[in-house]
Amino acid sequence: MERYLLIAQSLAPFLWKGFIETVTVSLVGILAGSLIGFLVGVVRSQRVPILTPLFGLYIHLLRGTPFLVQLYLFYFVLPNTGVEWLKWESRTAAFVALSIYTSSYVAEIVMSAIEAVPRGQSEAATALGMTRIERLWHVVLPQAVKLTIPSMSGVYVMIIKSTAILSVIGISELTRQGELAILRFPRDILFIYGLIAAVYFAYCYPVLRFARWAEQRIGAARVARLD
Amino acid sequence: MSWLLDYYNYNIVAQYLDRFAVGMRNTMTAAGISLVLSVLIGTACALILLGKSELLRRPVMGYIAFIRATPLLVQIYLVYYGLPALLPFAKSWNDMVFGVAALTLNSAAYMAEIIRAGIESVPQGQIEGAKAVGMTYAQRMRHIVLPQGFANTLPPLIGQTAVLIKDTSLLSIITVFEFTSAGILLNSERVRPNESFLTIALGYLTIYCLMLALSHAVKTRLAGPAWNAQG
Repeated sequence: MERYLLIAQSLAPFLWKGFIETVTVSLVGILAGSLIGFLVGVVRSQRVPILTPLFGLYIHLLRGTPFLVQLYLFYFVLPNTGVEWLKWESRTAAFVALSIYTSSYVAEIVMSAIEAVPRGQSEAATALGMTRIERLWHVVLPQAVKLTIPSMSGVYVMIIKSTAILSVIGISELTRQGELAILRFPRDILFIYGLIAAVYFAYCYPVLRFARWAEQRIGAARVARLD
Repeated sequence: MSWLLDYYNYNIVAQYLDRFAVGMRNTMTAAGISLVLSVLIGTACALILLGKSELLRRPVMGYIAFIRATPLLVQIYLVYYGLPALLPFAKSWNDMVFGVAALTLNSAAYMAEIIRAGIESVPQGQIEGAKAVGMTYAQRMRHIVLPQGFANTLPPLIGQTAVLIKDTSLLSIITVFEFTSAGILLNSERVRPNESFLTIALGYLTIYCLMLALSHAVKTRLAGPAWNAQG
């Protein structure tokens, strides 16, 4: 027992560093991903010719491949195209891959939320003489954004969990710090991964609880399947 | 076609086709076994969640919360290193066994939620109606609750299966030779990232399209118009 305490004590600064990196990466992922996903979702819900099917393909491509494979594509294949500005270091590749992956889920949520706003709202706005953009901006989106909250918290949990995969391209987040810690304490692999799991749990569980609370509060059904 | 060879030399892919085939078989084996086992465990968990025993419900709720709040990769590591430490005879097991065990434990938690929601989705009036015509508990389950619950469960179950197949890609990290590993092998031997990773992506996309078609067929065929109306 004392030995475990000692290990935990000597690993604490590294795990803390890894945790901060996990938080940073997941925050960048959710912010950039929400921005892209919001635009894609709004355009997709408006039945714009060419763009709507194009974004549909974008979502299917991202949904149809594992995040690990997408990460490899951004990290190995893009630099191989020979274009100079696509030669990213691992951190940039990680940020971009995570943001784009996130955007596919956000887009679906935004689109279903827009469709969940009753038609009468939009029709009444039309009757008042609002243009399409005005209807969207003043009437539909303010109501739709509220509906996305439960699902968005679910997406956030999913992103936090996905950041663990970034360890394979050497981002020094929590899981990677655990792998490094094992080099120092090779006999306590199980304890170290247990510790890592506990940190993830402490980070994700409150968000999951919030998601459930928001779901009951807002009363919206989960508009998109996650995980 | 020579310009294409610079970007994607399908001749190299053809040389590795047998490796990709082995990888795909292992991916499907891992996903298939995990699917069957996780549906079984998930059903048991769902019945416990719907049951009255608080003593049984608490641990199941804790298990589901743990699975949902920790990354699959960490769960895979925990099983991969934890199982041999807990069970000495597990040391000689194949990596595949650990991979399937981790995937099963992960997927079962989500299956439990899906199956529970499916059973709960059967309206109370249906059960009351069955009671009114004098059916026993077993008859109600057999003829009323489970058929309707199953129809409601199938679409999310297919969705979860698609997720499960994608998740098998993480087994490449614990050196199971599945589909992603085949691409990594190609890249490490020939240093051709395009041929290796684009091929993998294409393979997963093909499976995804099949799953989409399956889920569409299920929605239109199996459940009938009444079910389609509500969702």
